[in-house]
Amino acid sequence: MKRTLLWVIIAIVALTPLMAGCGSKECDFRIGLVTDVGEVDDKSFNEAAWNATKQAADELKLSEDCRGYIETQDAKDYIPNVDSFVSEGVKVIVTSGFAMAQATNDAAKKYPDVFFIGTDQWYNEQLPNLAGLVFNEDQSGFLAGALAALMSKSGIVGGVYGTDVVPPVVYFREGYENGAKYINPNIKTLGAYHPGGLATGFTDPQWGGETAATMMDQGADVIFGAGGKTGNGALEEAAKRKVWAIGVDVDQYYTLPDSVKPYLLSSAMKAIVPGVVDLIKKAEAGSFTSGQIFGAAALAPYHDTDGSIPQAVKDKIAEITKGIADGSISTGVKK
Amino acid sequence: MDMRIIIGLFALTLVKATPLTLGALSGVFCERSGVVNIGIEGMMLTSAFTGFSAAFFSGSALVGIAVALATGGLLALLHAVLCIRFELNQIISGTVINLMAVGVTGYFNRVIFSGRTVPGVETLPRVEIPLLADIPFIGPILFQHQPIVFTTIILVFLVHIVLFHTPWGLRTRAVGEHPRAADTLGIDVFKVRYINVVVGGMIAGLAGAFLTLEAVGTFEKLMSNGRGFIALAAMVFGKWSPVGAFGAALLFGFAEALGVRLQIENIGIPYQFLGMLPYLLTIIVLAGVVGRSTPPAASGQPYRKE
Repeated sequence: MKRTLLWVIIAIVALTPLMAGCGSKECDFRIGLVTDVGEVDDKSFNEAAWNATKQAADELKLSEDCRGYIETQDAKDYIPNVDSFVSEGVKVIVTSGFAMAQATNDAAKKYPDVFFIGTDQWYNEQLPNLAGLVFNEDQSGFLAGALAALMSKSGIVGGVYGTDVVPPVVYFREGYENGAKYINPNIKTLGAYHPGGLATGFTDPQWGGETAATMMDQGADVIFGAGGKTGNGALEEAAKRKVWAIGVDVDQYYTLPDSVKPYLLSSAMKAIVPGVVDLIKKAEAGSFTSGQIFGAAALAPYHDTDGSIPQAVKDKIAEITKGIADGSISTGVKK
Repeated sequence: MDMRIIIGLFALTLVKATPLTLGALSGVFCERSGVVNIGIEGMMLTSAFTGFSAAFFSGSALVGIAVALATGGLLALLHAVLCIRFELNQIISGTVINLMAVGVTGYFNRVIFSGRTVPGVETLPRVEIPLLADIPFIGPILFQHQPIVFTTIILVFLVHIVLFHTPWGLRTRAVGEHPRAADTLGIDVFKVRYINVVVGGMIAGLAGAFLTLEAVGTFEKLMSNGRGFIALAAMVFGKWSPVGAFGAALLFGFAEALGVRLQIENIGIPYQFLGMLPYLLTIIVLAGVVGRSTPPAASGQPYRKE
């Protein structure tokens, strides 16, 4: 028994350098993604950043060895993870998520020869090798709210949110509520933030579902879920009760169980993938754009609910989309 | 507030109290026999995952629940062997189970479900108990729920009867208070502890099944979110008695449900305050303000025959 265990340990120790060795092939140009606390298959912003990294690498005809990711397990590891990519000679480092802004800013200062691209990040400093991709969450939230108000029969719409510690979540909520009121000034908007902060705010589907249920008991007939897995719990609960659901961040048609699809009107998206791909390609071409870059924020396609949404509603949404783009409609959200 | 909202608030309280109550009952079972179990959180999380996977692949919620119970029982057996046979520090053993749960569920969740279209199972159906569910006010609060909520209420009273009105309960309490005395009277201390810890683990497994098969319908990483620890607080708050723990869990559940309610109503109190309430109450109880809460005397101490 003891001896077997010993061999297992020896085998693991012996295999470790082999695994590390996988990434050390020759590459002219290497791209690395450091995720926020979360995984590259989180069906949300980390996954979008990883898809963007892969897509950019493919478009630049880089082999699979020339791109990689490190999943951050704990917030204190942001900087060591970036450091280890730099020491491997990575030329472009993508960091994912609002929480990594400071670490990314510091790293860009420390390594002026490496390009840094952060999603959802605002920086205190302007650096030539640092680009923060940000989105007008209030705009896609506004569209989601307008859609919700147009589809609601009860005049009550609900929203279940992650934590208000994260500003984009707040912008989504305020945009949503203002959008609903833009359509119907008398509409009642119900909303609740998860009280758990960054630690549990985005990972509590049970709370999300129960909160959505509370809102539906009160008559809400559209539920907006903006808070990672917490929001997903709300959308799943809505579908269980055959109530319209609206997702967030990515096109959630692809990230929710099949049971939700017939009730998913749309999602308030941030176009993370095209934004990141574009910045990576510019870095490779030597024409990097630094500073704060605004990515597109829009509604996802209607998919399965397309047939249930009246043409008049679609026209109205198209009209508001245009209005926001040309500035004639303001979301009324102060950032 | 109209009647529907008040009914909804109380019904939600019961739902929110369910995993806490189950966790607390699990703790009561273990600690009454003298074994501290802080691994309930990990047992809940692991069972939530295995129960979900089993239900997903078999297509049967019953298979899922059975697997969740078995998972809780097996992890508890591991805890029991480490604590009773090897006399390992019980806090460390529980911590190991919690840490292992995070790694194991995260890893297998990725290996099994990554790359698939998002997996989901149908949650257990809502049951309306005939006649009782039609009573105004009380009916919708108490008698229109999903099955595990009902099971939990029954379990509270069952555990109470077992602990305080059966020979087995008497032995359990004797072993938890003074194992040496119990031993001299011919009670098999080890057997009592093994069985109690494993049964406790199975109850924690049911709490895990509640999370994935009744509340949500999908598995998410870390979805137990500390409820296993809050359950332990409920156990202490309830003075290691099943009915007391249930009361504490209801209070915690009510505080959480009220927090959501007041936030939706947009009342000016910061919701973080209400979120704090259950824990403040626990500290007050632990500090001995509302009557002393004394653990079983031999809780946490391994027993060695001489």
